[in-house]
Amino acid sequence: MVATPTAPTSTGRAGAGDAAWLATLAGAPLPSRRQEDWRFTDLKALTALEPQMITPADPLAAVDLPAGLERLSSSSAAPWLGQALAATASAEHWPVLLNSGASAAQACPLLALRVFGAAGSLDLHLDAGSTAGLATFRLLLVLEPGSSLELLLRPSSSGPNALSLVSEVILAPGAELKLGSLAFGTEESCLFQHTAVVQAAGSRLDHTAVAGGWGLARLEPRILQRDGQAFSRLRGLQVCRGAELADTHTWVRFDGPEGELDQLHKAVADDQARSVFNGAVRVPRAAQRTNAAQLSRSLLLSDRARIDTKPELEIVADDVKCAHGATVSRLQSEELFYLRSRGIASDQAAQLLQRAFCEEVLRDLPAAAASHGPLLTLLGRA
Amino acid sequence: MIRPDAPVLLDIRDLQAAVEDQPILKGVNLTIRAGEIHAVMGRNGSGKSTLSKVLAGHPAYTVTGGRVLYKGENLLEFDPEQRACIGLFLGFQYPVEIPGVSNLEFLRVATNARRAEQGFEELDTFAFEDLVRERLAVVQMDPAFLERSVNEGFSGGEKKRNEILQMALLEPLVAILDETDSGLDIDALRIVAGGVNQLASPDNATLLITHYQRLLDLITPDHVHVMAAGRILRSGGKELALELERTGYDWVDQELDRLAAGGQEAGRTPVEVG
Amino acid sequence: MSTATVGDLVSQPYKYGFVTEIETEKIAKGLSEDVVRLISAKKEEPAFLLEFRLRAFRQWQQMQEPDWAALGFPAIDYQDIIYYAAPKQQQKKTSLDEVDPKLLETFDKLGIPLSEQKRLSNVAVDAVFDSVSIATTFKEQLAEHGVIFCSISEAVKEHPELIERYLGTVVPSNDNYFAALNSAVFSDGSFVFIPKGVECPMELSTYFRINSGDTGQFERTLIVAEEGASVSYLEGCTAPMFDTNQLHAAVVELVVLDDASIKYSTVQNWYAGDENGVGGIYNFVTKRGQCRGDRSKISWTQVETGSAITWKYPSCVLQGADSVGEFYSVALTNNKQQADTGTKMIHVGPRSRSTIVSKGISAGHSSNSYRGLVQIGPKAVGARNYSQCDSMLIGDQAAANTYPYIRCQQPDAAIEHEASTCRISEDQLFYLQSRGIGFEEAVSMMVSGFCRDVFNQLPMEFAAEADKLLALKLEGSVG
Ligand SMILES: Nc1ncnc2c1ncn2[C@@H]1O[C@H](COP(=O)(O)OP(=O)(O)OP(=O)(O)O)[C@@H](O)[C@H]1O
Ligand SMILES: [Mg+2]
Repeated sequence: MVATPTAPTSTGRAGAGDAAWLATLAGAPLPSRRQEDWRFTDLKALTALEPQMITPADPLAAVDLPAGLERLSSSSAAPWLGQALAATASAEHWPVLLNSGASAAQACPLLALRVFGAAGSLDLHLDAGSTAGLATFRLLLVLEPGSSLELLLRPSSSGPNALSLVSEVILAPGAELKLGSLAFGTEESCLFQHTAVVQAAGSRLDHTAVAGGWGLARLEPRILQRDGQAFSRLRGLQVCRGAELADTHTWVRFDGPEGELDQLHKAVADDQARSVFNGAVRVPRAAQRTNAAQLSRSLLLSDRARIDTKPELEIVADDVKCAHGATVSRLQSEELFYLRSRGIASDQAAQLLQRAFCEEVLRDLPAAAASHGPLLTLLGRA
Repeated sequence: MIRPDAPVLLDIRDLQAAVEDQPILKGVNLTIRAGEIHAVMGRNGSGKSTLSKVLAGHPAYTVTGGRVLYKGENLLEFDPEQRACIGLFLGFQYPVEIPGVSNLEFLRVATNARRAEQGFEELDTFAFEDLVRERLAVVQMDPAFLERSVNEGFSGGEKKRNEILQMALLEPLVAILDETDSGLDIDALRIVAGGVNQLASPDNATLLITHYQRLLDLITPDHVHVMAAGRILRSGGKELALELERTGYDWVDQELDRLAAGGQEAGRTPVEVG
Repeated sequence: MSTATVGDLVSQPYKYGFVTEIETEKIAKGLSEDVVRLISAKKEEPAFLLEFRLRAFRQWQQMQEPDWAALGFPAIDYQDIIYYAAPKQQQKKTSLDEVDPKLLETFDKLGIPLSEQKRLSNVAVDAVFDSVSIATTFKEQLAEHGVIFCSISEAVKEHPELIERYLGTVVPSNDNYFAALNSAVFSDGSFVFIPKGVECPMELSTYFRINSGDTGQFERTLIVAEEGASVSYLEGCTAPMFDTNQLHAAVVELVVLDDASIKYSTVQNWYAGDENGVGGIYNFVTKRGQCRGDRSKISWTQVETGSAITWKYPSCVLQGADSVGEFYSVALTNNKQQADTGTKMIHVGPRSRSTIVSKGISAGHSSNSYRGLVQIGPKAVGARNYSQCDSMLIGDQAAANTYPYIRCQQPDAAIEHEASTCRISEDQLFYLQSRGIGFEEAVSMMVSGFCRDVFNQLPMEFAAEADKLLALKLEGSVG
């Protein structure tokens, strides 16, 4: 923020007492809005939670693992755990601390998977259910050299609770992961989804995160290209209405040369909703010939909604291509007019254009997503 | 015009060059005297542009052997800009675009650098505009191009005309024109060829790199050379180009096979035909 | 650009680094309420101004130095600075003939001839030396048009009602730490008033010169353009080379009423320190303009090449309907320089429009950050913004950061932002070289090509100046 920060003043609801159990679980006080990363993130939906833990069902119990995929026990997963978090500098990050604290407190199932071949696709439903409280999930994916997986995660909630999901992903050379996340909640629920990925040279990540309907959703994909020379494709779509807050903070760092990033983030904000996007790209000296492109496009549909975007590019290498762009607008009047001149009612024309806007991201989800009707869930309520 | 007693402007002996340790030129021999027009032909990828860029001093190419004398001096010792100032000109096959740098300004600075080397006084903005307008006529180019950034948004043909305009301003002693004819429409080809002919004199020389006889119909070469696999495989008079037009390059493979089979030495000395 | 001379220019060191030997009157180091009172007393100020200063001083005492910029520097000891230094020349002279010839000579050496016969044609100059304005040229001619152009101290005496009406209304004294400091101790600066309907007949310009080694410079500039008025204003800055750092904390306020416009250009070439980062100016500046009227316009153009540290965000508050804000910036950093600069465009009025073009060039071990905010308020129906920020990196030790924030609360608005990073490509350099243009010259041509969109916004005389300056600054940084 330039010169004098003018953060709205409303920390009142988050009285220390309300959030004490969360602070105790995390072993650290809740983030304050004076912290740059949390300036726009109103945590009142979180602090309003019933102070109790939910034991969710083990999502892996219900599925048959395809060939090329193996579930790791806690002890065999142990050497891998924490690596991706450390590499992406997020081990001390508050949502991660909360997840770690809560997992330890109630021994939640560890979803640890080792991928050692062409594992095909997997669809995991991570449901916080309808009971009040806090549900935590922890996922570890280790992709061995040359292996591949297409994974769809479906975090969901239908009650006044918070779902905390921390995923750690380690991609060996030549590994390919298509990781989709389709997260639907209610206006009483919160989502904290943190995804830390370390990519070795020659690996490929396609990560698409879609969220809608949560009172508060905070998505934090963080990627480190450990030796550069990898490919990361990031897609994000957040749709918020009513009084919802959708907040995405992405972070990508290249620690070696010739890495590639192709990032597109989209947001739709209607009613009094608030949409926040923060996209950091770090290109240190070692990352010569990096090619990174970040684009953020936001649709603002109501005059009480608001959008804050904040790309952050930090570059210390001269032979790089880094481009970023941002647009904020409402639906293009030219396009609307064109549709209407062909006889389509303005509501319907607007729907069509919104669908087209969303579909550009949705089509990058794993194929399994289609059966869950994402478009209808996202826009159907309009 | 061949005059055996004319001074040698460019003398290339056993020139070898590589890109990132990959050898591309493998022993090129070529002598160019004042007043001569040479044409170099050859398949795609045979090393023609590489030869021209090595002569102009492109930093991506490393000379790994041989020598090049320009008017008796070691050309390879000079920086690219010095080579231009002393009269070597390369018309690029793919001229780059330089957004933001005004074409007029660029031409003026380049012209004055060459003039300084020749001992002429520097041209001020007005004198230069007069000169540039006069030279524009040589390539029949619209003065509007002067106001734009260097090559930015120029069509393929416009870029090539801009190259000839630069040649007309710099008045080089040795002009190497790398596929200046490609991308030109029929009229433009005439105009450009006319320009080259107009600028040719008994004191300078031209090296044309081309794939087509149609340019050589308009600019008659004194010598024609065929490049293959990084060397000059065959040299001859203007009829060699006509012969190539009929026979294509199939014979090149046989010749290369023969060379590979042991006749290396034969390849080093160009074989005269016709 | 007169490229023919760039060659000679690049081989020169900072040529404004000399010190003028002149007797000065200084207030002892340190800052307290007494010092604030003393400054005000020396300037024989009216009560409202002393009040203004004291309020600012108390606010400043409660405030913290901002820490959010991408800058690193040792803590500034605010008690180790002289807050007032003036050449001993008791009264400001009415005629230039009476000004100390040493001062005139100084400005001549800086290329700013004050004697009117050698004047820059059609540019009126206010020359500020350390804390005070020593001369303003063309005052009478301007007065004929009703234009007031004088030092702010003079304006306090002669037009107190205008000062009281406008001072601190755009940048309130508690706006930020450095603005508060400035409001408490500002010594001099320029005042411009263009009355209703007047198009200022010449370019106005202020030249700031820091001379003393331990003096801070805290100038204050206020420009008011009434309905339908317009003016183009330029400031230039230099300082001697000292191996200590000097603080420069200026405030500039612009007020533009209906249909009026102000074009404000800066060529900043304060001493930047040496190649090891020793010495140089700390440049903490608050510049803000208010487009109060409908169809009003403010255009900022800056070429920032000097200072060890630059912290500066010339901003526009677009209150009027159909008002226009522009920001064109070139920031070049070399050696150990650090710059954190950009703009804020605050759209309040309907159909307000803004354009941002920022070009950052980082060489050596320097760090160059663009930080911008485009804010569209709920009433700014039909607002538009277009921003473009490009960085050029020279060498692999320099940093280029881009932080373009967008906050939008109005659906019927369109905001577009583009950014890119590039370097000078080997092929482009080779092309220029193969036409006989030397290496350094080729680089400086490319750099000025990169900056062209911004230079085009500068008044003619200064565009060439800015170009030369860049070539000079890049000396030895390439290759
Ligand atoms: N900078 C470079 N990096 C890698 N390879 C190169 C480079 N320059 C040339 N080469 C390779 O060297 C060979 C000769 O290329 P060159 O451009 O000289 O061919 P050419 O005879 O001009 O072909 P054309 O008729 O298509 O223009 C080709 O195989 C080309 O790919
Ligand atoms: Mg070629």
